[in-house]
Amino acid sequence: MSITLYIDNKKITAENGDTILQAAQRNGIEIPTLCYSSLTTKNTSCFVCVVKDTKTGRFIPSCSMEVSDGMTLESDSPDVRDMRKTALELILSEHTGDCEAPCTIACPAHANVEEYVRAGKNGNHLEGLKIIKERIPLPMSIGRVCPRFCEKECRRNTVDGEPVAINDFKRLAADLYYDSYMEDCKALNGKKVAIVGSGPAGLSAAYFLRREGIASDLYDKMPEPGGMLRYGIPEYRLPKDILNKEIDHFKKMGSITFIQNTSIGKDVQIEDLKKKYDAVIITVGSWKSSEARIEGEELATGGIQFLENIALNGWTGDNPGRTIVIGGGNTAMDCLRTSIRLGSPEVTCFYRRTEAEMPAEKIEIHEAKEEGVRFEFLVAPVKLRRENGKLILTSQRMTLGEPDASGRRRPVPVPDSDFDTEADTVIAAIGQKTDAPLGISTNKWGDVDVQPSSCLMADGIYAAGDCVSGPATVVEAVAAARRAALSVIAQFQGTTYGEPYILNVTRGQWQSLKPDQLVYLKAPVERTRVPMRFIDIEERTTTFKEISYTFTEEEIATEGERCLECSCTAKSDCSLKKHSESYCAKPDAITGEKPEAAYDRRHPDIILDRGKCIKCGICVKVCKEVVNAGILGFKSRGFSTHIDTAFSSGLPVDLCRNCKKCIEECPVGALDLRIKN
Amino acid sequence: MTIKRIKVGAGSCGIAAGASELLTFFQQEISDIPIVEVGCIGHCYAEPIVEIETDNGSLFYENVKPHKDYLDRILSLRDEGQLVIRPQRSDREMVKILSIAGRIEMNSINEYIANGGYEGLKKALKMKPSEVIEEVIISGLRGRGGGGFMTGTKWRFLSDKNSSEKVLICNADEGDPGAFMDRSLMESVPHQILEGMLIGAYATGATKLFIYCRAEYPLAIKNLKRAMEQIFELNLHNLNGRTVEIRLKEGAGAFVCGEETAMIHSLEGKRGTPRFRPPYPTDSGFQGLPTVINNVETFGNISLILREGGAEFAKVGTEGSKGTKLFALAGDVKYPGLAEVPMGVTLADIVYEVGGAEPGTVKAVQIGGPSGGCIPAEKFDAIVDYDSLKSLGAIMGSGGLIVIGNNRCMVETSRYFLEFTTRESCGKCTFCRIGTKRMLERLEKITGGEGTEADIDFLSDIGNKIVKGSLCGLGQTAPNPVLASLRYFRNEFEAHTNERQCPALQCNKLTDVIINEELCIECGLCVKTCPVNAISEDYIVNNSVCTRCNSCIEVCPKKAISRTKRGSGHYAVKEN
Repeated sequence: MSITLYIDNKKITAENGDTILQAAQRNGIEIPTLCYSSLTTKNTSCFVCVVKDTKTGRFIPSCSMEVSDGMTLESDSPDVRDMRKTALELILSEHTGDCEAPCTIACPAHANVEEYVRAGKNGNHLEGLKIIKERIPLPMSIGRVCPRFCEKECRRNTVDGEPVAINDFKRLAADLYYDSYMEDCKALNGKKVAIVGSGPAGLSAAYFLRREGIASDLYDKMPEPGGMLRYGIPEYRLPKDILNKEIDHFKKMGSITFIQNTSIGKDVQIEDLKKKYDAVIITVGSWKSSEARIEGEELATGGIQFLENIALNGWTGDNPGRTIVIGGGNTAMDCLRTSIRLGSPEVTCFYRRTEAEMPAEKIEIHEAKEEGVRFEFLVAPVKLRRENGKLILTSQRMTLGEPDASGRRRPVPVPDSDFDTEADTVIAAIGQKTDAPLGISTNKWGDVDVQPSSCLMADGIYAAGDCVSGPATVVEAVAAARRAALSVIAQFQGTTYGEPYILNVTRGQWQSLKPDQLVYLKAPVERTRVPMRFIDIEERTTTFKEISYTFTEEEIATEGERCLECSCTAKSDCSLKKHSESYCAKPDAITGEKPEAAYDRRHPDIILDRGKCIKCGICVKVCKEVVNAGILGFKSRGFSTHIDTAFSSGLPVDLCRNCKKCIEECPVGALDLRIKN
Repeated sequence: MTIKRIKVGAGSCGIAAGASELLTFFQQEISDIPIVEVGCIGHCYAEPIVEIETDNGSLFYENVKPHKDYLDRILSLRDEGQLVIRPQRSDREMVKILSIAGRIEMNSINEYIANGGYEGLKKALKMKPSEVIEEVIISGLRGRGGGGFMTGTKWRFLSDKNSSEKVLICNADEGDPGAFMDRSLMESVPHQILEGMLIGAYATGATKLFIYCRAEYPLAIKNLKRAMEQIFELNLHNLNGRTVEIRLKEGAGAFVCGEETAMIHSLEGKRGTPRFRPPYPTDSGFQGLPTVINNVETFGNISLILREGGAEFAKVGTEGSKGTKLFALAGDVKYPGLAEVPMGVTLADIVYEVGGAEPGTVKAVQIGGPSGGCIPAEKFDAIVDYDSLKSLGAIMGSGGLIVIGNNRCMVETSRYFLEFTTRESCGKCTFCRIGTKRMLERLEKITGGEGTEADIDFLSDIGNKIVKGSLCGLGQTAPNPVLASLRYFRNEFEAHTNERQCPALQCNKLTDVIINEELCIECGLCVKTCPVNAISEDYIVNNSVCTRCNSCIEVCPKKAISRTKRGSGHYAVKEN
C-alpha cells in the first residue's frame, strides 16, 4: 500500500513501513543523520535527523518514525535547521580530536601537509608534488624561502623539541619532478584576465585561473618576471636559475603571457585594462622602502632598493665597505648577508629592541650570525650625516618599557646616550610600503583595500598579495591570489565566491598538550630531525651560491618517519564534519567539559577513540546484530556514557575477527584502522 | 480500657527514626501484649510512631524512644506525647488508599483480608473482564506515575490484543528525589498493590505479571516477596481457572528505568535505555508481547474501585482528575510525610493546612520532582489536578512535593534537580546527554558568581530544545525545573549574574558570614567548631578562609552568626 505525505510542501509517495528518512531519501530530499545505519535496528540517538510535524509542531526523529498517510512535515524550515544545528553543536562540544593536522591548518595556503609528507616518506614524490601544487603553484621557491608556518604548529615539537622538516618535502618533490609534472588544465573558455605584477601573487593568480581554463596576461614593470622572488630575495636563498625554471612552467601551461617592462599608470592605463579584459587582478606588491624619519635619511639606501640594484646587476656589485643595516626584519637580514657576500669587512645590524622582539625568522638571524654579522640591540638611529666622505650615524641607546599595541615591549630612549658610528654604507631596512600604480586608491596605510573573502577591490578589479596585506610572505601571497582567482572564476559563472566553511575540531596547540596526549595511531619513532646540509661557510660568505642542499630521498624518507600523523583517520568521510559544514555548526559555539581523551590502541589494527565517539550506538548494534559478536557495549550513564568492551580490556583479538564492519559504519573516526594511506 | 496490641511503625521512615531499637526494647520489656510491625500512616515527621490498640479505639504516640519513661507513659495511656492530629493533619486530607496503611500488620495477608482485602478481586472475578475494564473507565482513574493516561483505556488496549501471552508490569521504580509514595504503599500494604495487579491481569488477560522495584527499597521488596508467597499459598493467582505468573525484578539503580520502554529493556536483561515509540508497549512490549505498565499507586486504587464501584470512586475529585492523590510532602514544612488529598484541593491546602508551613515563609513548591517545576506561592490557590498543574509549568508527576522556604535559592534548587537528571540521563540522545550537562555547567557558573545574562539565555534556549529533542520523558522534562524557575524567578537568576548576589544567601560563593557583636556572648563555641580556623579570638570571621560550611551558625547559642551578602563580611587584609 502506498502512502502519500508532504515534506516541505512537496508531495511524496512512500511504502507502508518506510521511515520518514527512507521515504525522504528515496525522493531526493536530503535529511542529515549520524546514528542511522541501514544494517541495524534503530538507534534514535543523534537527533540530527529531526523533522517537524506541521500539524502538532512536534519534532520527530525521521530515522525512527514510520510514514503515515497525510503526514505533513518540515525538513528545511528555520526551526528544523536550528534544531539540527544545535544537535550538531552539542555533539561538537564534546567531540575531541583533530579533523586536520595542525600543520595543514597553519599553512596559509592550506596545502595538505600531512598527505604530502606521507607521500614523501613513502617515496611517492610525484604524488607529493601533485598534492602540493593543488594549493602552492611555486613549490621550488616556497620550498626554499617559506618561513614554515606549518612547522611552528607541528606536534612533533612536543616529543623532541623539533618539528618535522616539512618544507624540505616540498623542495625535494619540486626539484625531482617539477619538469615532468603538468597539471590538468581545463580547455580555454575564452575569458582573459589582466594581472598587474608577476610576483608570487600574480603568478599564483594566473596559475589558478589557467587550471580553470582562463587565460591571463601578466603586466610587470621589471625586465623579468618573478617580482620579489627575483628582485627581493637574494640569490643565495633562491637561485634565479631555479626561479627561471619555475616560471618556465607557467609558460608551458600556455596562455599565460608575460608582458615585461610595462608600468601601469605610465605605459598602460587601468581603465584600458578594464575594457580589454574580463577582469583585472592587481598584485603589485610592496616595493617602496619605508622612511626612517631621521635627519639625513637621504644618505641611506632603502633596503629593498639595495637588493633590487644587486639583483638587476646579476647578484654582483661593489664592496659596500663597512655597512650598517637599520632594522630587524627579514629584509634587513637579506641586506646584511648580501653585504657580507659583496665583501664588506664589517656588517652590523642596528635594532631598537632585543633579539627576542626581532621580526626576522630565527633561522635567518642564526645564519646571519654564522656568516659574521654583528648585532647591536637596543639602538635607534637619530641622525645621519656625511663627514670627510664617511657616513656618521648618530644613534641612541634604548631600554624596553611597557608593551605596546603589538604586545611587544616599547623601546624607550635612554637619556644622554647618543653615540656616533662611522660607516661606508647605511641601509635602512625598516619596512616596505605599497607603491600603488596610478588609478588604484589606497587606504591610510598605503595599501589597497579589498573585501577580504573575495579580494574584490572595485567592479571587476581584484587585488591580492603584499599590496593588500602589506609586506608578508610568499605563501600568504599565494593564498590570497588563489582567493582572488576563485572570485574571478565565480564572477564569470555569475556567482560570488565565499570561503567555504571547513569544520576543524582541534585538541589545541602542541604547547598545551602533554607528550602522551600526542601518541595517536602509533608511538612516535625516536629520531631527531634530519639536519639541513649547508655549503662551506667560506663559500657562503664569499659567493651567492645557494647556501643549503636539497634533502636526499633517503633523508626525506627518514624525516617522514617523524610525522605523528595528527589528522583524523576519517576526515574524508566523517558524517559529523559533512553535516556540520552544511549546517555551519561551529565546534566552539557551545563550550564545556569534554570527555577525557582516552583512545584505545591495544588492538593491533583498530583504534577506538572515545574522544571522537558520538555515542550513536551503531557499532554496538553492528557487532551484535550483523557480526553476531557482541563485543562492544555502552557503559556508564549521562555525560560519562561511552563505548567499551567487557571489563574495559580492549577489543579482544581472539573474538574480534577484524571484520571492520564497525569501522565501516562508524559515522566519525571513533573506530578506525590504525594506518593511513 | 484494655490494651489489645501494640503496633510499631516499622516502615523505612520508622526504622530510620529508630523503630528497630524500639521494637527490640518493647520485646524485652513487654511479654503479655502482642507487639506487631506495621507500616507507615503517613506522618513521617512523628516517627517512630506507636499505636496502642485498645478495646475502645486506638491511641497514637509520636517520637517514641526506647526508654522506660516512654513505655510507662504509653502503657498507662497518658495524654503526654500523643500524636494529636490524627489520623488526618487537617480536614483537607482524605484517607482512602491509605486507609489501612500503617494500621495492619505489614506481613499478614489475613489482616489484609480481614480489613476488606481481596474483596475487590473476588468481585472482579464474578464480572466479565470487559465489565471490570468498564468499571475502571467509569472511575476516571488516570495513571498515578505522572503521565496521567486513562488506566481503563490502557487496559482496553491490552485486552483487545489477540495474543496468547500478555504482560502487565507494575512500575515500582520510584526514583524522584523526595518521592516515597510507592515505597510506603509497598511496605505497608503490599497486598493492596498485588490485588490491583491480579484484577488488572483478569481484566486484560495478562499472563505474566512483573513488579519492577528499585533495589534501593529492600523492605518493600521483602514485604512484596512475602505477600507473593502468601498469594501462591492461597492460590489467589488463579483467576477463574487461569494461573498467572508473578515475578519481582529488582532494578539496578538507574532512574531512567522508570520510563516504560527502558524498564522493558531492563526486564529483558538489556541496557536500560528507552526506545522510540511507536511501537507502543501495548503493541510490542516485553519480549515483543503486548504489555501494559501501571504505577504502584494506580494499582493501589484498583481494589478500591472494584470494592466501592467506579461511580462512587469518581465522586471524589475534579472534572478531569478523579479520586485522591498521594503526595510525598517534604522540604520546609512542619509536618513532612505522606499526604493523601482529594483531587481538586489547592496547593495552599497542602502546603499550609496539611504541611503546617507558616504563610509568608514559603516562596514556592517544586512539584513533580526533577521532571516537574516550581510553582510560586502567589499561585498556591491553583487546584491540584493533572491539567491545572500543567498549565502552570509544573506536572502532577508521581507526587513528589517539595516546599521551598524563603531561605532557599531558586537557582541552586533548579541546579540540584538538573544535576540529578544530568547524572541519570541514559546517555542516548544528544540533547539530553550533552544538553543537560551544558545547562548544569552554566548553572554552576551562575551559582558560583561567574554567570552572565548570556548564560541565562542559553539555559532557556537549550532547555526548550532538550524538551523538543529528546526521546523519552526523562529528557523531555529534565529542563523543567530550570525553565519553571526562569519563568517565575528570573529575578533571582539576574541577581546572581548582574549583581553577583544570591538573594536567598544560599550560594556559598556569593555570601559572607558575619558575627553580630551585639548578640555575641563570646562563648567560644564557634571558634572551637570552625573546621578551618576562620574565626579569630576576637570573634571576627575571616571570609577569605571561611568555607561557608554553616557549622558556626548552627552551633551559636545566641543566633549571633549569620550569612550576608558577599562583600559585606570581613576579609583578611592582603599581605603586601
